[in-house]
Amino acid sequence: MDSLYLLIPIALVFCAIAIKLLLWAINNGQYDDLDKEAWRILAEDDPVPPAPAENGGAQQQESKKP
Amino acid sequence: MAGAWTGQCTPPILAMTPSTESPPADAAQLCYHCGEQVPAGVTLAIDIGGQPRPMCCPGCRAVAGLISANGLDNFYQQRTAFNERPQQQDSTTLEQYLIYDDPELAAGFTVVDDTGMRSASLLLGGITCAACTWLIEQSMSRLPGVDRALVNLQQSRLDIHFDPVKLPLSEIFARVEQLGYRPRPFQTSTARLQMAQEYRTELRRLAVAGLGMMQVGMFAIALHAGDIQGIDVRYQGLLRWVSLLVASFIVVYSARPFFSTAWRHLKVGALVMDLPVALAIGLAWLASAWATISGTGQVYFDSVVMFTFFLLLGRFLEHRVRQRHALTWFDAESTLPGVVATRRDGQWVTAPRTQLHGGETVLVKAGETVPVDAQIVDGSSAVQEDTFNGEHLPREVRAGDTIYAGTVNVEGALQAKVLGSYRESRLAALQRSVEVAQTEKPRLAKLADRIASWFVAGILLVTMLTAVVWNQLAPEQAFWVTLSVLVISCPCALALATPAALTSAASALRASGVIVRGENALDSLSRTTHLLFDKTGTLTEGSLTIADVRPLGDMSAEDLLAMGGALQHYSSHPVARAFAGITGTGRFEDVDYRVGAGLEARQDGGTYRMGSEQFCRQLAADLPKAPDDPLYWIALCREGSPLAWIGLNDRTRIEAADVIASAQRAGLQVELLSGDSSAQGPLLARSLGISTVNHGLTPQQKMAHVRQLQAEGAVVAMVGDGLNDAPVLSLADASFAVTGATDLARTQADFVIVGGDLHAVTDTWRKARQCRRIIGQNFAWALGYNICAIPLAAMGYIPPWAAAIGMSLSSLLVVANSLRLNRKSSPSQGHIGRG
Repeated sequence: MDSLYLLIPIALVFCAIAIKLLLWAINNGQYDDLDKEAWRILAEDDPVPPAPAENGGAQQQESKKP
Repeated sequence: MAGAWTGQCTPPILAMTPSTESPPADAAQLCYHCGEQVPAGVTLAIDIGGQPRPMCCPGCRAVAGLISANGLDNFYQQRTAFNERPQQQDSTTLEQYLIYDDPELAAGFTVVDDTGMRSASLLLGGITCAACTWLIEQSMSRLPGVDRALVNLQQSRLDIHFDPVKLPLSEIFARVEQLGYRPRPFQTSTARLQMAQEYRTELRRLAVAGLGMMQVGMFAIALHAGDIQGIDVRYQGLLRWVSLLVASFIVVYSARPFFSTAWRHLKVGALVMDLPVALAIGLAWLASAWATISGTGQVYFDSVVMFTFFLLLGRFLEHRVRQRHALTWFDAESTLPGVVATRRDGQWVTAPRTQLHGGETVLVKAGETVPVDAQIVDGSSAVQEDTFNGEHLPREVRAGDTIYAGTVNVEGALQAKVLGSYRESRLAALQRSVEVAQTEKPRLAKLADRIASWFVAGILLVTMLTAVVWNQLAPEQAFWVTLSVLVISCPCALALATPAALTSAASALRASGVIVRGENALDSLSRTTHLLFDKTGTLTEGSLTIADVRPLGDMSAEDLLAMGGALQHYSSHPVARAFAGITGTGRFEDVDYRVGAGLEARQDGGTYRMGSEQFCRQLAADLPKAPDDPLYWIALCREGSPLAWIGLNDRTRIEAADVIASAQRAGLQVELLSGDSSAQGPLLARSLGISTVNHGLTPQQKMAHVRQLQAEGAVVAMVGDGLNDAPVLSLADASFAVTGATDLARTQADFVIVGGDLHAVTDTWRKARQCRRIIGQNFAWALGYNICAIPLAAMGYIPPWAAAIGMSLSSLLVVANSLRLNRKSSPSQGHIGRG
C-alpha cells in the first residue's frame, strides 16, 4: 500500500497535465464554437458531385482534380 | 397618400372573397428553402435530391438553385432549421459591395499578411443552424483564390483567408449574399471581445472543475470504502490531504465567481442566490480543511467540487444560449448605402456617405435607399417608409418634401438637398430611442433572488439557534452539528431550480422554431396580462398578394396575370412584388414608368397601361369603376379596351384569428398597435375580434402607450417585426419578432419566431407558464427537503453520508423535473411543428 505515496502524486501530475492541455486548447480557440464541431462530424467532407447537366457542375469537377 | 398609382384604395381586409379567405387546397405546401407557405398560384420549383421541391419566391429559388448547382444538396438533409427567406437579388444588391474593394474601407475588418494574402471577418445574418456553416464553408473554399474559410456559428462570423489579387472582397460579399445570408463587416467591439473572453473564462473554470471533480471523486470513493471497511489512519490522512489540495485549487479557481458576486451584492445590501452557494461551498470546504488538519470529523470535498461543477455547468449552458443570439448586434446605420451620388463643381461624383455635408445635393435613383435626411429640390416619386410606420405602400413626395434616411425611393429619381449628418437623422433618433427604451425596461426581480434573500436569512437564523442550543447541551459536539446543518442546507437544488428549468424550456422552444434571447423573458412572459400586436407584417403577411382578378374582356384570368407579370417585371414599386412569382408572357417594349400613375408599354403595336383608374381611363374611356370590394385595385387596359381589374391586398395571416381567439380565451388582453393610419387597422381588428385598437402611431407614441399600460400595472408582451417596432419591443416586458423582421427588431426581441407562424406566440406563452409552474415545483421540493432535513440535522440525527446522498438526490430530482419541459406534450404543438 505504500505505493500510494508514489502513485497518487503521479495521478495528480497527469491531472495537472490534462488541465494544462485543456486550458491551452481553450485559449487557442478550439472550443469557441461547440455547436458546429458537434455537428461537423456528421457532415461529409466532400459534397456529392452534382448531376453533370447542371451549370455549376463543371466548376466543381475541375476543383476536384488534383 | 397610400399608393402612388392606385385605382382606389379602400380598406381591403374585410372583403376578401370567400374563396381567398379559406386557405387554398395546397396550403400545406411549404417552401423547401425557407419553410414559408407557397402563395397560391406560385408554381416555382427546383430539383433537389432528385425531386422537384416547391419554392415560395424567386429569391428562395435563386438561392436553392445555387446550392443545388454546386452539389451541396446535402445541406437540406443536414440542416435542423429552415433558412431565412432571402431578399430577391438584382445587380444593385451586389454592386453595393463594391465599396469594400476600397482598401481604406476594408482596413477596418481585414488584415494583410506578409505573403499578400488577406484575412477578413464578416458578420453573417441569417445563419439558422450548424448546416449553414458547412454550406458557407464549402461554397467559399471553392472560390478561386480562397485559402481557407471558417464559420464560427457561436458568433455568426466568417473568417476567410484569401488572395486579394485573384478575388476581390466585394466578390466574397456578393457570394455570401447569393447564398441567402446577409454579410456585413465584422467590427470588433469591446462588448464583443469581452463576451468572447467571458465565454472562455467560464469554459476554463468548468473544465478545471470537471477534471478536479473526477480526482476528488476517486479519492472520496476510497475514503467512503475506508469508512465502511476500516482504513489505516495514515492512508486516510494521505487521501484527505490530497483531496484538500485539489479541492482548494477548484474552490479558488472555479468557484471564485460565486464568492465575488455574493460579496459584490452583499456590499450593497442585497442577498442573492450566490450568497448561500458561496456560503455552502466556503463553509463545507473550511470544515473539511479543518477536519483534515486536525485529523477529526468528516470531509466533504467531493460535495464541494461536485456542487461547484454542476452549478458552473448550468450557468455555462444558460449563458451559451444567450450569447449565441446576442452577438448579431445590429446598427441601423449599416443599412444605408456606403456611397452616394452627389453634385460637386457642376458634376455628379460618387462620394462616401459619411463625407456628405449639409446643403449638398444628392441623387437618389429609383430603388435606392435614401442615404441621409434631405429635402427634395427636383423630381417626384414615392418613398416607402416602412422603417418608420410599418406601412408597405409608399408615400408620394415632390419638390419641397423631406425624405428620410433609411426609407426606400421606389419610383423616380430624386435630387435632394442634404439636411444634416447621420447623427441628426430621424433614423439615428429611432436607434437612440431603442437604447433609451432598454434602460427603461422594468426589471422584474428574479424569483430565485427573491427566494434567496429570505432563505439565506432563515438558514443563518437556524444555524445560529442550533449552535446556541447545542452549546448548552453538549459543547463538544456543537461545532460538528452546526456544520452539518449548514452542509445539509446547501442550496444545490434551490440554485439549480431556475436555470435548469429555463434552459430546458429554451431548448424545447428552440426545437419548435422559437429562439429565446432574453434572460428573464420567460419569467416576464408567464406573467403577461396584455398582448400587443403590430399590424403590417405581424398579423398580416406584410406584402401585397393578388387576391382577385376580374376580367373585363374575353381574356382568361391566367393570361391577364401573365401579362401583368410581364409588365410589372419592369417596375420596382411594391405592387410589382405581388407579381413576382408569376412568369410573364410576351415581351413589352418602350416601357414607361409614370410616377404616381402606373406603367405604359407597347406590344405588337398596341399600347398597354397598368395602374390607377384615372391613368388607364385616359387610354380606355369605357373602363368601368373599380369593383366595390375593399381591395387595392389596379387596372389593366389596352388602347381602347379595358382588360381587367386586379385586386391586391395584404393578406391576413391564416392563423391570426385562431391565435388571437386562443389568447383571449386564456384571459389575455389583446390590443392592436399599428403605425398605419388608414382605416385598415380597425377593420382588421374587428375581423379578428380585437376590441382595443390604436392606429396611426409613431414609434414614440407606441412606447408611450406601453409605458402607460406598465404604469397601470400591466405586464406587456409585444409582437412586432419592423424597424419601427424596435423601440417598443425593447420596452415591453416580453417581446416577439416574427420572421422577416429587420435585424434591429430581432435584436430587441426576447423571442424570435423563426417559422413565421403566429401560433408560436401563444405556444411560447403556454410554455412560459408551464416553466413557471415547474420552477415553482422545484422550489417547493428544494425548500421542503431543506425544511425536513434541517431539523433532523440540527438534532444530530443525520450522518454525513446520508446528507451527501440526500443533497445529490434532491438536485437530480430538480433537474429531472425541469427536463419535463422538453417533452412535446402540449396539444398545440402541432402548429409549431409546421414552422
